[in-house]
Amino acid sequence: MKIIYSELQKFIPDLKVEPQKLRDDLTMIGHFTNYFEEIDGEIVFDLDIKVNRGDCLGYYGLARDLSVFYNLPFQNLSKPINSSSNYSLPIKVTTQNVKRVMSTKISNLNNSSSPIWLQTFLKCHGSNSINTLVDLTNYIMFLYGIPNHAFDTAKSGENLIWEMNSKFKEFISLDGSKLILDNKILMINNPNKALSLSFWGGESCAIDLTTTETIIELAIYNRTTVRQNSRQLKSVTEASIRLEKDLDSELIPTAFNHLTNLILENCGGQINSQIFDYYPNPVKISGIEFDSKLPSQVSGINIPQDFSIDVFNRLGCQINNNLITPPSLRKDITIEADLIEEVVRFHGYQKIPTNQALTFKEVGDITPPEIYLIESLKDKLIELGYDEVLTWPLVTSPVDKKTVIKTQNSINSEAIYLRQSLIPSLEQQLDQYTRFKLPEPQFFEIGKVFSKEGDNFIEKNALGIYHHNQSQLLTDLEKLNLKTQIINDNFAEIIIDNLPKPEKYIPNQQQNNAIELTSQIIALDANIILDTKEDPINLIEKYSQIIGSKNLWKLIVTDIYQDPKTNKYRYTFQASYFNLDDKTAKSIHLKTFDLI
Amino acid sequence: MNQNLENIKTQYLKKISNLKTDKELENLRIELFGRNGLFNDLFTKLKEIPVEKRREYGQELNVTKNELERLIAIQSQKVQKTEIKKMNNLRSNIYDLPKMGHLHPITQTERQLNEVFRKLGFSVYNSPEIVTDEFNFERLNVPQNHPARDMQDSIYIKEPEYLLRTQTSTIESYLLKAKSKDLPIRAAFPGSVFRNEKVNRSNHFVFHQYQAVVVDKNVTMKDLIGTMDLMFKTLYGPDVVVRYRCKYYPEVEPGVGPDMQCFSCHGQGCPLCKYAGWIEMGGSGMIHPKVLEAAGIDPQVWSGFAFGMGLDRWTMAQKNIKDIRTLMGGNLAYKPNEL
Repeated sequence: MKIIYSELQKFIPDLKVEPQKLRDDLTMIGHFTNYFEEIDGEIVFDLDIKVNRGDCLGYYGLARDLSVFYNLPFQNLSKPINSSSNYSLPIKVTTQNVKRVMSTKISNLNNSSSPIWLQTFLKCHGSNSINTLVDLTNYIMFLYGIPNHAFDTAKSGENLIWEMNSKFKEFISLDGSKLILDNKILMINNPNKALSLSFWGGESCAIDLTTTETIIELAIYNRTTVRQNSRQLKSVTEASIRLEKDLDSELIPTAFNHLTNLILENCGGQINSQIFDYYPNPVKISGIEFDSKLPSQVSGINIPQDFSIDVFNRLGCQINNNLITPPSLRKDITIEADLIEEVVRFHGYQKIPTNQALTFKEVGDITPPEIYLIESLKDKLIELGYDEVLTWPLVTSPVDKKTVIKTQNSINSEAIYLRQSLIPSLEQQLDQYTRFKLPEPQFFEIGKVFSKEGDNFIEKNALGIYHHNQSQLLTDLEKLNLKTQIINDNFAEIIIDNLPKPEKYIPNQQQNNAIELTSQIIALDANIILDTKEDPINLIEKYSQIIGSKNLWKLIVTDIYQDPKTNKYRYTFQASYFNLDDKTAKSIHLKTFDLI
Repeated sequence: MNQNLENIKTQYLKKISNLKTDKELENLRIELFGRNGLFNDLFTKLKEIPVEKRREYGQELNVTKNELERLIAIQSQKVQKTEIKKMNNLRSNIYDLPKMGHLHPITQTERQLNEVFRKLGFSVYNSPEIVTDEFNFERLNVPQNHPARDMQDSIYIKEPEYLLRTQTSTIESYLLKAKSKDLPIRAAFPGSVFRNEKVNRSNHFVFHQYQAVVVDKNVTMKDLIGTMDLMFKTLYGPDVVVRYRCKYYPEVEPGVGPDMQCFSCHGQGCPLCKYAGWIEMGGSGMIHPKVLEAAGIDPQVWSGFAFGMGLDRWTMAQKNIKDIRTLMGGNLAYKPNEL
């Protein structure tokens, strides 16, 4: 979410900290702030507001949080409105999914393109300017986090009905998208027309520059219904993002008054109806018993009890001895642990020392024996020269259609079945190694294989193994006491769950360089002539150092030959290079073995 | 199918299966699909076919061409495998350094972390990968329709009940249930987790997380932060700078987010850290009272902490791997010996 510093300062006039510090402080108290930038002379922050803080999806809530943190006064920007009209709007609410709606009619408007300040505000928020009336509704949504809507009464009429859709088959949104409706959709309609979704206005009653009369409304709904509607219609809007959070119905009058005053100031006109306020079940907030010793106990550092009370006061809680009643804005505070978090975060996580880790304590080993088995098997296979690979647990095609488990919603068409065997994936791994001309592959994987028996899903641990030399594979399996059949060429697979398990096993630590191959391995031969016989291993080490490890995959001596005429020794090397093109590999090769 | 094309197909099917070297295959490929190859000629002559038959013939021609190309590719793979086998069989007098086996980089990191926690008395734990909604969400304080569910896009086996676990916190659910009468607990669990992500260079549907959990009496945030810091210093070295901030996760409260100062820009802001100067390293916090209660553990008596982090990006950075797909199959390889 974007936040303009100067708008924040309207709520906290004494807020003067440097943008860098504000960014860091916002992050430390739970609103991760990536960066700030300058847009049209405004400093704009980019924040990640977490799903439990619907109140901070607007400047109002965020400013309340910061005023507590910095202990600075908070200024309410909204002023009361008065309506002298006796006219009662013919609005109906027929669904319990509406928590609160406030609405009124404003007539004799003079709509126009937006003033510069409003256009800049919306630009900083990544929104396009439409016209003053529409832009003001968006401004209020960003300011208070409460979506709202303005209907052109010339198109919508006044008989607005909040209802679960039962009559309309389709809806055209403000951007012209055609959405197919059913009876689970919460809507605002008139008797003849679908006007608006709960989270998206409709084209049929859109405000334009000719609009002279409007009905504005601010509403909060059952958030689950909005969330389901948004998903069902595959439509996410700034409004749906907010309405599916727990918003504060008590804040509606403040935002409503602010919007109404702004419209009157910027578009002229008069309030031409009574204020409609549907609020069947006003918010009731329960007090939470709070033990003031707990912030210290939970954090592990001393937090004075007075500090907790001070924080609760600044948050706007009602305090009655040890009973704390949070403000209605803070829907995330419902239990004692929530109050503790408030105290600790405002006290400052950075005050908790970082150098006091737990020390050893014997609490009993609950490691499942199969973990020890897997770790010991891995170490034995490594000792035998096998490399460990990991392959995709989801695969393209089943081994056995009757027992395969299919995923319902995988978006990857190449990965819809849970693997029943490791072998097909290891075969793909071999194909890949073959493509890269990797010599002498020998590798293994230990992983889950899956199947279905009736309604039960079965998971088993399996070992899949490949060796380029089949007889060596059989020898190695014998060494590991693994009785299995070679399945396919040089592959073997065994379910390891029933093997004898070690009581305890401490695995070896290994740090090695795995390589991401980007091209084929290039093998090149070279002969060198020496006067005396030398240990080929010493020669391998010598030339390896000359070439360097960055692109040398392997270096071997393939032949040693003594010329009977000269008595000199010819050593034939094969050097394999990786992640190089042919030309560069050849160049390094010729230079190393002095073949130029 | 057109008889002439049928004959071509039959003739070349036999020819392809008899080819034994890459060079022979390449020659045949040029003969069939080169600039002056058979198929180029056939496509050129397409205009000579009567209009009413041209479309059908053109489609058959394409099918035949694709089929032969496919067969050549398959034969090429066979030939390469045979060549490698042959090469391996000719190795009786070859001098080489001893062959080494290698652990996968993810396993290496997991073992490194297991060792840190083993020394503190932690066990290693695991649980199924196909899980129920109850263990993946409900027991972790994420009821149906909670917006926190949007933080994870699940892969379902049988919606809404069965899914692939989306986080290692799910292992925590199983652990707490299994050991609720056997407290205190110290356990760590590496594991694969699944999200419904398109596979590309940066994202995968399966990745690896590491989680550690403590349930005991009088566990504090100081214990959590100190232990996490020990872990980060083990992984990244003693000079690593980590900050611990307030962060929301439904299964913990208070929640703690560890951020590591960006190793690329040292906090100045760069594309790697999205100009934040910090890199988010995972999530943690004191186990939420509702999570303990769901497991039958009295939060008035017992408390605990949990923290989790992803292993893939750290491992990629450590091994200079640029493509996440490399970690799961693909082109991850190891040098056969120490050079």
